[in-house]
Order: sequence, then structure tokens, then C-alpha cells
Amino acid sequence: MDKILQDLVDQAHEAAGLRRNGVHEAHDLVSTELLAELEADGDAMRFVDAKGKIRWRATPDLRQYLKDLKLDARDDLKDL
Amino acid sequence: MLRRAPGTIPFSTEALKANLLRLQNEWETVQASRDRDAIYQYLSAVFELVTWWDREGKAGKRANRALHLRGYSSVREAEPFAAVILCTADRDRVDERTRSKWSRVLRYAAEFKEVDEPLRDFVKRKGGINKCAGRFARRLGRYR
Repeated sequence: MDKILQDLVDQAHEAAGLRRNGVHEAHDLVSTELLAELEADGDAMRFVDAKGKIRWRATPDLRQYLKDLKLDARDDLKDL
Repeated sequence: MLRRAPGTIPFSTEALKANLLRLQNEWETVQASRDRDAIYQYLSAVFELVTWWDREGKAGKRANRALHLRGYSSVREAEPFAAVILCTADRDRVDERTRSKWSRVLRYAAEFKEVDEPLRDFVKRKGGINKCAGRFARRLGRYR
């Protein structure tokens, strides 16, 4: 899993833990549900890595979206 | 509690639609580009999708699902690369002959390309798209 997706999974895991008053949901379950959801939304995709294993990464669309957000945030900071 | 490795997450119809849409967008990007090599960006995306379907042993079934989603009926099992191209590239610009040629190139790459070599580098190293399509016919003895 690439860094963008790993961050999203970690955030979802934290959120799931908070929602359930400290009863932490299994990380595997959260990542399974989130990856399926991200894939259906066009934000995550699977691919075969150099070792021949199926891995996950953010789609070009999600990468571009995050890049734009970062640039917007930078511009907002300049305006302050 | 459900415990499933990320690699075994079912590939939903919504996920299939999202992947086809992503490839359609790649196709549109290629159409808008003046770069002669832009086609490799689209072909690489097709190659990558079918490669992981194939790794799960479901390339034919998923290609048929894709055709069905796009309203094409297929009696026999579709050739996955050709099917994905049919579902995602503009039919007015990519005729059957071109689709068949690209499909042969991708099948040749699937057979002989190292996993870590970019598709564009491989195809160029082998003499380009037309030569690769020819090599497929000679080396693998099939012609479609």
C-alpha cells in the first residue's frame, strides 16, 4: 500500500476507534472496508508490483486532488 | 470478525466501473496530447489493469463483465486486453484492426516483459507497436 492510502487507512482506524468509545476495530477490517470503498470511488487501485504481488496505490485522480489541495493551502497561507 | 488480506478484497461492480472510467479518462488525456508517446500512457493503464485481473485468474470473467456493463454481448470469453480497449477507447478512433494490434502488443508484453520494466521502454526496445504485434503473431502463433 502506498503512503497516501496508508495515511487514509490509519486515519479511518483512529476514527473507528473514537466512534466506538475506545473499543478499537481491527486494523485489517478497517483497511479492507476502506480500500473497497476507495476503489469503488475511483481513489484507490490495485496493481502488480515488481515482485509479482498485488498491491494498492492511490489513483492519479486522488494524487492530483491532494496536490491541488496542498497548492490551495499554500496560496491561502500566502494571503494571510 | 471478518479478517481479509487487502489482496483478497472482492472486486465490486462499482470498482469495475471506476476502473473503466479511469481508463476512459486516460484515453481522453491521450487524445488531448500532442506527444507521440502519449498512447503508451493509456496502453500501460490497460496493461496494468488486466495484469492484476490475470494474476487473480479472473481476466476473462472480468473482461466479460466490463463488456456487459458497456452493453456489449459476448458469446465466447473475450480477449481481456481487446475487451478493455473496446470499453474505454473511442470506437470511432480505434477500429477493430487497431484494437487487435494493441491487444497483440499487450499480450506479447504480458508474456515477455519483466514486471519492473515500463511498457513503453519494452515496446520501444522491441521495435515499436507494429513490430511487437508482429512478434506476438510469430512467437505465440496466434493471430487475431
